[in-house]
Amino acid sequence: MLNPGDKAPDFTGRDHTGKTVKLSDFKGKSVVLWFYPKADTPG
Amino acid sequence: MADNKKFAEKFSFNFPLLCDTDRTIGTAYGANVDPAKGAQRVGVVIDKDGKIKEWHARVDARAWPAEVVRTL
Repeated sequence: MLNPGDKAPDFTGRDHTGKTVKLSDFKGKSVVLWFYPKADTPG
Repeated sequence: MADNKKFAEKFSFNFPLLCDTDRTIGTAYGANVDPAKGAQRVGVVIDKDGKIKEWHARVDARAWPAEVVRTL
């Protein structure tokens, strides 16, 4: 788990259009990250 | 990724829907508690300085989006 005040781990991923998205793309902005399980799987 | 594209287009998402296929992002953010299962519904708010503002182990899928928008 992460705690308030921790540095957010940087990440790079691909979005649904195939575009590369990095946390650093959002420098100076608030970011909401929400994880969820793959569709049609338990959880 | 094709399924995610369809999903995002169906609901006209105005944000990127990331495909964490190798689960590195989920692991870094504590969302892969049990590797045999899917990602846990972890909710994270990162502030403008790149620091964790909120980290929730499990958020309510119906209530959280409205809640989090109020805090931004």
